Amino acid sequence: MNLPDLMARRVVVCCGAGGVGKTTMSAAIGCAAAHQGRRVAVVTIDPARRLAAALGISDLGDTPRQVDLGEIPHGGALWALQLDAKATFDRLIHRHAPDRAAAERILANRIYQHLSRAVAGSQEYMAVERLNELTEDPRFDLIILDTPPAQNALDFLDAPQRMADFIEGKALRMLLSPSAAHGHRGWRMLHAGSSTVFSILERVTGAQLLRDLGDFLQAFDGMYTGFATRAAAVRTLLHSHESAFVIVACPDDAPVREAVALIERLRTDRFPVAGAIMNRVHATSSAQLDLGALRTAVMPICLGAPDDLIARINDQWIEDQARADSDHEAYVRLAHALGGHEILSVHELDDAPVDVHGLIGLANVLGAATDPPDGTHR
Amino acid sequence: MTISPAGYDLGDRRLIFVLGKGGVGKSVVSSTLGMMWASRGQRVIIAEVANQHRLSEVFATHDAPPNVATELAPHLWGISIDVDRSTQEYLASQIKIRPLVDLLVRSRAFHTFAAAAPGLAELVTLGKIWELAVSLEGGHPVWDKVIVDCPATGHGIALLRTAGNVTQLAAHGPVRDQAHRIEEVVMHPSATGIVVVARPEELPVSEAIDAITELRRDNFPIAATVMNAHIEMRFSHEEAHALADIVAADRVTDAALHGARAAHRRQVRADGHLAHFTQATHLTPLILPDIGPGPITPARLAALAARCAAQVIR
Repeated sequence: MNLPDLMARRVVVCCGAGGVGKTTMSAAIGCAAAHQGRRVAVVTIDPARRLAAALGISDLGDTPRQVDLGEIPHGGALWALQLDAKATFDRLIHRHAPDRAAAERILANRIYQHLSRAVAGSQEYMAVERLNELTEDPRFDLIILDTPPAQNALDFLDAPQRMADFIEGKALRMLLSPSAAHGHRGWRMLHAGSSTVFSILERVTGAQLLRDLGDFLQAFDGMYTGFATRAAAVRTLLHSHESAFVIVACPDDAPVREAVALIERLRTDRFPVAGAIMNRVHATSSAQLDLGALRTAVMPICLGAPDDLIARINDQWIEDQARADSDHEAYVRLAHALGGHEILSVHELDDAPVDVHGLIGLANVLGAATDPPDGTHR
Repeated sequence: MTISPAGYDLGDRRLIFVLGKGGVGKSVVSSTLGMMWASRGQRVIIAEVANQHRLSEVFATHDAPPNVATELAPHLWGISIDVDRSTQEYLASQIKIRPLVDLLVRSRAFHTFAAAAPGLAELVTLGKIWELAVSLEGGHPVWDKVIVDCPATGHGIALLRTAGNVTQLAAHGPVRDQAHRIEEVVMHPSATGIVVVARPEELPVSEAIDAITELRRDNFPIAATVMNAHIEMRFSHEEAHALADIVAADRVTDAALHGARAAHRRQVRADGHLAHFTQATHLTPLILPDIGPGPITPARLAALAARCAAQVIR
């Protein structure tokens, strides 16, 4: 993966399995790009506030907040924010409802309140909406999107379409308020079938729930086109070469399998894959440990028989080699799936970066020519 | 949660939700608990949600068809809960007239509704889990333990909350009644226990602490906490200190000495994360050791289950 090329895009999407360090990598790429003069917003979408921890900011909110990177050249800057799906959704309603009354009606609807707070579905969708908002914000020229810890790491690619389908779903609207179908060709047939479906559904949900749903969908009347247009616009942007997808993995079985599946899916759907970061790699050294030499070395510090200590050092050595070999195999599997793209390897750090210094150190590792604010390395 | 000098007591709770950040090893912990209880003669089923298919990897079995209980080991079963299938099963149980169910699930309108209706996937998933926990055969529970391998923290908590949300959303009707019955079981500390998993690293620990705070605030029953992949002491502080003074004659010996010191630093850090977790939550976690690289095998799992059994009374 070519970091300078990555930093020249407008949108970078970091995706991969949970727990591989996506958020940390997003923040580190953000740091690196800011040091190159880019004005970067890093969006994280996690209820556990991981970026907040990584940036040492405890109250990271929905509003972009500038991260103090000290003196950096070329006017670069870094902002961080945490996606608040409900706040984004509410803003969307206020912006696109035909009038204030219509907006209030939607915001007060119980289905809406549930929908906008639901973690699954709405979070993925609002990540894309937030991305759309931020690309229009003149303060930023690069948006880095850390993807939600979804059950399926690519849920967020499908979410806008699913949500648009739900909100715009003509079939459902006709099902719930058959009168809305007037004027549509073939409405009579659909209505005839739907009213039966409606009455069956009502037996399960109760009338009130379906009525709320009907109100909700009617309240969205006139906003459908906007939703569809934005979903399409973001999709176009994500497909263009202004965007780049970076796959983050760590060399364990499940994350690599998920990364490989992600790469295949992104390729199939023609999203621009820029490369991968393999995090927490252990260095390999296939040499054989000479126990005689080890004995000579540890002898001076042993009061009694050194055998026990030597055995434990040897056990550790064997374990470390096995870990490194296993990491290498994982690397090869990922490289194979990536084809021509390069993988950036990041060695296992003493501890995951939890402050700006750590992130700048990591940005350095990622290949950026950056210096920490006080000129020292962590 | 009870810890006596003899060890952890998770009680007779039948429904166990295993929750934690992505990558902490929820599937491994679920399988370990499952193996432990199964080896004590209990009938255990592990439920996977959202097409994870981790169990078939752990136990090296073929992917079973969705919603079908498959035997993984003696007394231990697994099931992968599928939303579409569960929705149909649920509708069939509610409507009871097969042709009507077929009409509904074949209609385009219903599919549009089901694909995007907020919380529907979670509700039917939780409904299926609840059904496993309450199902009886000849007057006896079919399962002694139902272990749920939850999605990552945020989505996992959303799954736990879903019944309560639907109870608020629907004023009456069968869906509401069903959601209310599920909520009663999920919130009841003698029926349900949540096991919060962390591993000894900064972010997984802080996410687990946040999750526990949130679960406590809303009165969810926490049964236990687990520190997975804990790094065990191999070198004492004195040894690590002494090793730092040694100059080895060759590169490989030097690398091995370096490796020993690095291992000691990892131990110390892991202990620090463990201490932070314990201090922040006032909970003493079950400790499961780091099992090193490579895939989980049934033999490694059995070893973990034995370690777990040594700490858990029931």
